[in-house]
Amino acid sequence: MSDTLRILLIDDEARILRALKALFRDYETFQTTNPLEAVALAKQHDVDVVICDQRMPEKVGIDVLRDIKEAHPRALRILLTGYSDLKAVLGSVNESEVFRFVNKPWDNTELKTLVAGAGTIAREAPVIVKDALPQVEHDRARTQVGVLVIEDDTTVQQRLREILQPYYRVNFANTAERALQIMEQHETGVVISETEAGRSDLTALLKALKQHHPHIATVVITERANAQTAIELINEGQVYRMLIKPVRMGTCRLSVDSAIGRYWQLKQNPQAARRFTAARSTEHSLHSPLRLPAALLNRIRSLPGRLLGTARV
Amino acid sequence: MLWIVVIALLAGCGWLGFMLLNAQRECRVLKAAHAEADEEIKRLQATQSQVIHTTKLASLGQMVAGVAHEINTPLGFVKSNVEVIGDLLDDYRKLVKQYDAAVQYCLQPVDLIFGADKASLDKLVKHVEDARRKLFEARTALEKSPLLKDAKELLSDATEGLAQLGSLVMNLKGFSRVDRDGMDSMDLNEGLESALMIAQHQLRDRVKVVRHFGTLPKVRCMPSQMNQVFLNLITNAAQAIDGDGTLTIESKASGGNVEISFEDTGCGIPDDILPKIFDPFFTTKPVGEGTGLGLSIVHKIVKGHGGTIKVRTTPKKGSVFTLSLPVDGAGAKQSVQAAAA
Repeated sequence: MSDTLRILLIDDEARILRALKALFRDYETFQTTNPLEAVALAKQHDVDVVICDQRMPEKVGIDVLRDIKEAHPRALRILLTGYSDLKAVLGSVNESEVFRFVNKPWDNTELKTLVAGAGTIAREAPVIVKDALPQVEHDRARTQVGVLVIEDDTTVQQRLREILQPYYRVNFANTAERALQIMEQHETGVVISETEAGRSDLTALLKALKQHHPHIATVVITERANAQTAIELINEGQVYRMLIKPVRMGTCRLSVDSAIGRYWQLKQNPQAARRFTAARSTEHSLHSPLRLPAALLNRIRSLPGRLLGTARV
Repeated sequence: MLWIVVIALLAGCGWLGFMLLNAQRECRVLKAAHAEADEEIKRLQATQSQVIHTTKLASLGQMVAGVAHEINTPLGFVKSNVEVIGDLLDDYRKLVKQYDAAVQYCLQPVDLIFGADKASLDKLVKHVEDARRKLFEARTALEKSPLLKDAKELLSDATEGLAQLGSLVMNLKGFSRVDRDGMDSMDLNEGLESALMIAQHQLRDRVKVVRHFGTLPKVRCMPSQMNQVFLNLITNAAQAIDGDGTLTIESKASGGNVEISFEDTGCGIPDDILPKIFDPFFTTKPVGEGTGLGLSIVHKIVKGHGGTIKVRTTPKKGSVFTLSLPVDGAGAKQSVQAAAA
């Protein structure tokens, strides 16, 4: 096959497809208005990047992208939508694990840069097909890898302690400061965090953490997710899972198990972490890491690779 | 004997005086209570109009969100197309420049011919052959270039998209009737269409809408209120349907009335709840998700227009809300106008 990127475009509005096809005229594009054909097309043409609409009558975008993730995991997935309802946002994190969530109307230059970058990553970075580990390896992983909970509500803390303590090496922090202290001392593979503690915002911390240490899996637990904040957590924080309170034991254990699996495999295979590269925050971002105190940002940057499992990078 | 009469009279007067005082006191208490009740009524009225206003704002918010979503798709491709067409034209200009260069190259031999000897004539022939080839290639590139065709296609999509955006805005204006107020003759089918457009984002990928719109006479009514009624009933139907379903809207003229029914394949209304559905503040939704005013406002507006609203429901199968409105707005009360203010 040729060297040019291959992109699959899915939208029930043919005009959107024509617009994108024209925008990506330097690449090889495949398109369909029928989401039910998407998975077959992705496999057949071995595409690098998929751009998919959310709202389509036959099948919604997050389901299309989830199926493409299963059938053709090599491709990076972008959800392009005029509807940023919470269901779409949560689904795109938890089910289809999108690379980016882009709102219509999009910016041509940004979208081109995004697709070019995604295409390179899709071609070069190895794939982790399944996050779950074989039992023996999983048991080894959970005794070694620290799970850090950042949460200031003592009731929720208590609840998480009950759910997690018996199975994982858990540490608790109620401020960003304390969280960093823990990460400086223990190997931390999974960070479970609220979006805010007290009155201070934690999303900037989560973004900064992911930007500098992309192999850490972050699980966000939040009371009332705001779509804009959640979209930023996807794009600039590449959050692994997003759970809505109250936390259920089953979902929580499942998320943490697979988060540990993800981290463990990225530790063995650091190049694969490129697939979870977070976008740099812009001046439009609600919570930019650049607004974090410089001292905190420096500490995040210089977290020792030894403790983060990336010593070999 | 006289004594007894005088004493009795005095006692009677005393008693009467006492009663009078008592009555006066009671009267004062009553007056105070009355004033208080008046106050309370005024406060309630104020609260009610406040709540109606808030609900209006809430449905305005819903409307704006719905339309914003609808706008994003055409806006997306129009915006992209316009930029891409610019790039295509730049690419086309490059082709034209190449053609121009080929033409220049062709013209060079003309200058050379004048001072030519045998050797250079041979060179010249070769140059001319080259020139012909280059010109041919450049011209074919221009003719075969899809750039202009693509640009035209994108432009026509953009034009189409602008038309979509235009009709969205028209619909929005039609829905809110900001440019008109008070009673007017209205085509209720148009109102149904604009309410459907506003509710589009709640329906789109799960609720199939079936329209059985009959030919209707124009109805004397408050158009913005009628639209509110339609939007509330459509929204209600959409919320009653969990997952996929169908909303069938039928409109027809019958005698001096227009009848519109909204039939959903939703959860239906349980018997114990049915009598309360038009009560203000009654809601089955969790706190914070519904004001409990949707149907009470519908009821109030329809009554205000001299119409009726009926519900037929089967739990787990769905509900039908049927409106009947007099064409001449005969029963329309002054209060409708007041409520709209």
